[in-house]
Amino acid sequence: MAWVETLINGALLGGLYSLLGIGLALVFGVMRVVNIAHGEFMVLSAFLAVFLVGMFPSVHPLLLLIPVVVTSFVVGWLYQMLIVNRVARQPDPLAPLLLTFGISIILRNLMVELFGADVRSVQLGELSRASLEVFGLNIGIMPLSTLLLAVVLFLSLQWILKRTTFGRIVRATADRRDIIRLFGVKPDRVYNYVMGLSLALGAVGGVLLAVRSSFTPFSGGERLLIAFEVVVLGGIGSFWGALVGGIALGMAQLAGLKFDPNAGLLYAHLLFFIMLLIRPAGIVSNRT
Amino acid sequence: MSRTLILVWATCVGLIAVAPAVVGEGALRFATECLLILSMAQMWNLLAGYGGLVSLGHQVFVALGAYGLFLSSGWLDISPYWTLPVAPVICAIVAAIIALPLFRLREAYFSIAMWVFAEIVAAFTTKSSLMGGTAGVTLSTSRLLDFDWFEPILFWIAGSLALGLLGALYLLMKSSFGLGLMSVRDNDIAATSVGVNVQRNRFIVFVLSAAGCGLAGAVSFLGNLYVGPAAAFDVNWVVYMMFIVLIGGIGTLEGPIVGMIIFFGLREIVTDQLGISAGWYLVMLGVVAVIVMLWSPRGLWPMLRDRFGIDLLSIRRLAPKSDLTRSGTSD
Repeated sequence: MAWVETLINGALLGGLYSLLGIGLALVFGVMRVVNIAHGEFMVLSAFLAVFLVGMFPSVHPLLLLIPVVVTSFVVGWLYQMLIVNRVARQPDPLAPLLLTFGISIILRNLMVELFGADVRSVQLGELSRASLEVFGLNIGIMPLSTLLLAVVLFLSLQWILKRTTFGRIVRATADRRDIIRLFGVKPDRVYNYVMGLSLALGAVGGVLLAVRSSFTPFSGGERLLIAFEVVVLGGIGSFWGALVGGIALGMAQLAGLKFDPNAGLLYAHLLFFIMLLIRPAGIVSNRT
Repeated sequence: MSRTLILVWATCVGLIAVAPAVVGEGALRFATECLLILSMAQMWNLLAGYGGLVSLGHQVFVALGAYGLFLSSGWLDISPYWTLPVAPVICAIVAAIIALPLFRLREAYFSIAMWVFAEIVAAFTTKSSLMGGTAGVTLSTSRLLDFDWFEPILFWIAGSLALGLLGALYLLMKSSFGLGLMSVRDNDIAATSVGVNVQRNRFIVFVLSAAGCGLAGAVSFLGNLYVGPAAAFDVNWVVYMMFIVLIGGIGTLEGPIVGMIIFFGLREIVTDQLGISAGWYLVMLGVVAVIVMLWSPRGLWPMLRDRFGIDLLSIRRLAPKSDLTRSGTSD
């Protein structure tokens, strides 16, 4: 019974992990850029949430998620416009990788110097400990609603991309950024919105992860690795794949922690590496 | 090799040979550090600048080299100088094994998978009692070392490593293998079509890069007589290598030297003279790297070279002048 509970909790944690991955997948899908600084931006949004909770103690912390998400969207928009767009159009695929890595180092050390290296977390009080009892299993309300939120966000993102004009423009830009110009669309501006959206989704994941477990300015690397593993395990371009990938990682992590309490993310990393070995075709075939 | 080049070379060898007699211990230690980081940056550059593979997990080789040296010296109970070759050999073997799964991935996927690999090895190291766990390993054979000569010997090892690697890279890039390598970096499909074995070239470069990094890492930790997992698997190793290469000039032999001078020059000014913390130093270094990437993506050295017309270790090749003169690989 304890194992079933572990696996269910792992699946719920996976919902959160897939939220970390979806922003990364969106940017990669549209502009073929892996944003190495994605994890640092998530940590930055978690810091913002911590400060807002401190400033407005009477407001419910989850309501404060709204200003954090809006700020992240603006930050992403500016980040793309001022920095990433300058290299995104270069034919060299390594340029954006190196540039975003440089940005991640700057952000990480800025956060260390400005906010200190202390361990922090976003406190939700009662809600973070509340749980449901279903057939004798204890299931946390927070993890469950996180998974539901992930599903809702995935559905809305899919709806936006499939059904709205904005979504059609984004998909067209992803396919042929040269042809879309003939229709009067500026690809760089589309990229700005996509990066904004990506960091806004990342902010949801970043803040909710900060509720679940504590963070430091150095947590960005770890979050990026989770996000990346989610995307690769699930298959690039597939939102539902990201959900499955996240759930697999969450289960691997919690199952690993069960018999090896200080393993951290080791078993999630191992699952990812083993999947690379046995299912390389699933990863490579998604490349164009 | 031209006569001036040999002259410059001999001067460097001479300088390194006599330096310990001239400069103080602190300066010597600093020079050792510079030379070791330069060697690591050259190795990272070999992989990224010539192999087209950006590794974000090269700290794993620094750590494996250091652990290999410390453990083998302890088990065999012989002076660590004798077990130095263990470090590159271990790293080469590990690199050869993980190349198998990793080479199925390209570009950013390879980079981050390397990082994940480094995290896995770091996690196992902190769990393994054999490798000292979280406490790390102290050099048990330090009684075999003569501490009067310790710093100079480390400096000589670091100096020969840096000079040796530079020379080896120069000869490698001058060879037909080097030409094949650069063709892969520039356009792997075109390179394949003229018969260059892309995967084999990348594999060789990856193994060489890992071995060189392991050796430099081992010497670096030998100076501390102690290796711990937090310092050995520090992501900052790869950050240093990358910033040095990017600022100096990726895919050139002189670039990392320029980058190393800026890296350590800035560090001395910022942390020593101005007394600003290491975190701010990394922020400034990152800003410099990002500015260089945006305004001069090839790095500073190619810019300086074109402006002042200096060509020290050029490995550029000129196309044959006409169809009749068939000297395609002359410089």
